[in-house]
Amino acid sequence: MDLRAKRRLTYGLAITGSLAVSLFFLVYPVYVIRPFRHQGVQELQAALAVLRFRPEVMAVAVAVAVVSAVLHWRAQTRTLWRIAAVLGAAGVAILAGLSRINIYELMFHPIGQPAFVAAGETKLDGDEKVIAVAVGGAARAYPIRIISYHHIVNDVAGGVPIVATY
Amino acid sequence: MNGLRLTFHLAGINNQNFLMRDEETGTYWQQITGRAISGPLAGRTLPLIPCDELTFALWKTEQPRGTVLADVPAYVAGYAPEDWDVKMRKAPTVLSYAQPGIAPRDLMLGVHASGAARAFPYDAVAAAKLLQDRVGGEPVLLVLGPDRQSVRAFRAGIGKGGRVEFYRTYDDKNPAPGAQAPLMMDSASGSHWDFQGCAVDGPAKGSCLERMEVIKDYWFDWRHYNPATTVYGKTSR
Repeated sequence: MDLRAKRRLTYGLAITGSLAVSLFFLVYPVYVIRPFRHQGVQELQAALAVLRFRPEVMAVAVAVAVVSAVLHWRAQTRTLWRIAAVLGAAGVAILAGLSRINIYELMFHPIGQPAFVAAGETKLDGDEKVIAVAVGGAARAYPIRIISYHHIVNDVAGGVPIVATY
Repeated sequence: MNGLRLTFHLAGINNQNFLMRDEETGTYWQQITGRAISGPLAGRTLPLIPCDELTFALWKTEQPRGTVLADVPAYVAGYAPEDWDVKMRKAPTVLSYAQPGIAPRDLMLGVHASGAARAFPYDAVAAAKLLQDRVGGEPVLLVLGPDRQSVRAFRAGIGKGGRVEFYRTYDDKNPAPGAQAPLMMDSASGSHWDFQGCAVDGPAKGSCLERMEVIKDYWFDWRHYNPATTVYGKTSR
């Protein structure tokens, strides 16, 4: 195999490797951390570690794939292979883009800035259940109907930063 | 944590209890325990703030100048319907810990004291309306509020006298209004106490019982994080 052929192969392998890595980093955490599935302690730790390093790994994978596709294009004359390499690099970019989606916040939108109504002015039904706290001199009620959807409310009550979770 | 304010995002689920991630360090935290399980702050625990689950009407009598979280108009359609907790009782679980007489989604009121954990079935507490027990050797009182739905726990001792007997005296058929409505009476002094645990008349007037934290949770989740828990009415302390 001549030098140019070796180079083309190297670039092709680099793109394939990036595809494999980005696919694993996208899919493994989604596979492990699923509702209605039991999570074992070790696999959860592994999935969370993958998640924590995922942004950097994806960035490197995209960079490697794109650079390899460019270099491959220059070293290759056959159109079919050139297109395959470009598609491979595009695939890595797509997987990297997908990995930025937080599906949980897509299903349960976060509250950016929580708004509050005085107890006397709210139209809440008396029978509705609330989670109530008294912090730093402020009394807050979070209706369960609302917080069971959003799950998390980042708040400052009476000057104290708190997070209400349900 | 360490003077850094953390902003949390919904990030995943672990055996049906959710995980959250803070923006500032990228650490993952378990919701039910407040403990960081992965990331730079792993091992740390968020300080738990005492909280209540009660009806809005009752809360309003206690905190007339409090504030209530408002609906976010864009997402109102997704909010839980009124009977969501009834439907949830029938949903499957991935963990079980089922025992004779205890189903995975039975609602429990979990209490920690002196290193011990004990689960009080919500239905048993609601039926008894007031019950006294010991957790970790400490005398504990659980009482149903005037709204007949919320439950609070108190240390059932007054002064240095040790354990005292309490009786729920509130007449649910003739509800008395107000946050200081007498709810129960103690046998030592004959004083009446309200749902905030403070004596409203009698020799003990002005003093308050010490609140204890109660975690209302499904049995499978409470048991998962408290493997040594005992269960009121099922297992001895």
